[in-house]
Amino acid sequence: MIDRLRDEARDGGLAVAWLYCDYLGQQEQTVINVLGAILKGLVGRREIPKEIVAAFQEGRRPLLADLKGMLKTAIDSLPQVFICIDALDEYLPRELPVLLESLRGIVRESPMTRIFLTGRPPVREAIQRYFTRAIVIPVSPNQDDIRNYVEMKLDRDDEPEAMDDVLRADIVKTILAKMSDM
Amino acid sequence: MAQTTNTHRVTFGDRNTNCGNTDNSVNTTIYNSDQDARIMRWLSPLEPDDRHNTVRTNRHEGVGDWLLELKEWKKWREGEGGADEAVFFCSGNPGVGKTHLR
Repeated sequence: MIDRLRDEARDGGLAVAWLYCDYLGQQEQTVINVLGAILKGLVGRREIPKEIVAAFQEGRRPLLADLKGMLKTAIDSLPQVFICIDALDEYLPRELPVLLESLRGIVRESPMTRIFLTGRPPVREAIQRYFTRAIVIPVSPNQDDIRNYVEMKLDRDDEPEAMDDVLRADIVKTILAKMSDM
Repeated sequence: MAQTTNTHRVTFGDRNTNCGNTDNSVNTTIYNSDQDARIMRWLSPLEPDDRHNTVRTNRHEGVGDWLLELKEWKKWREGEGGADEAVFFCSGNPGVGKTHLR
């Protein structure tokens, strides 16, 4: 999705910032660092706004309020901004409300901003506490996607002589059956 | 975290030539990409690009096409719902392919 949006971004002046949450990196994933990473995504490929350079030169760590201000300036200078956060359920639980509240603040100030989130079903409740009208789409393994992938892997098999049509069909069928249980 | 102060300076104007203002050579500091890199690290230690490149390498083309066809996606994408409908949430258990949606 990120790349799709980025393809469009090249054509139509929208900007995409993204983040992957990870249990392993939870200690680093403070709201300040996440908002900072989003800001990086928005300004990193163009000239850094003077406001950010000036704040950096003050020589202190950015505060939440600084980042919110800098984000607003960056977002308002762009036609449309997409923020993508993957695996929100792996985000530090005690920081999640602050993160969602910050995202809501961004959207209220810049209503064209779009936020794309992924996560396990239980994180939905937290999201909807801040975005009551969030669009929720359940993702299940897509049979065609899996079939294509398995076929591709079988085509690249190191030992094609060990494969026959019956075995091949059996492998595809078994994997699809297992996946449909997920 | 303390900021390092080894700002790279690029000096214009040659102090060794007499060109009328020897005691006041023209020094202009311009910030090159090294400072940009330090500003980026100052903004956040997180490096989402690194992870994204890994995901992209492992992805199979065409995964997630169905999502783009949804009327919900199109409506969200166009921003019709304004701030109220700013969030699009893909919900699923680990391993169903949320991260690799293309």
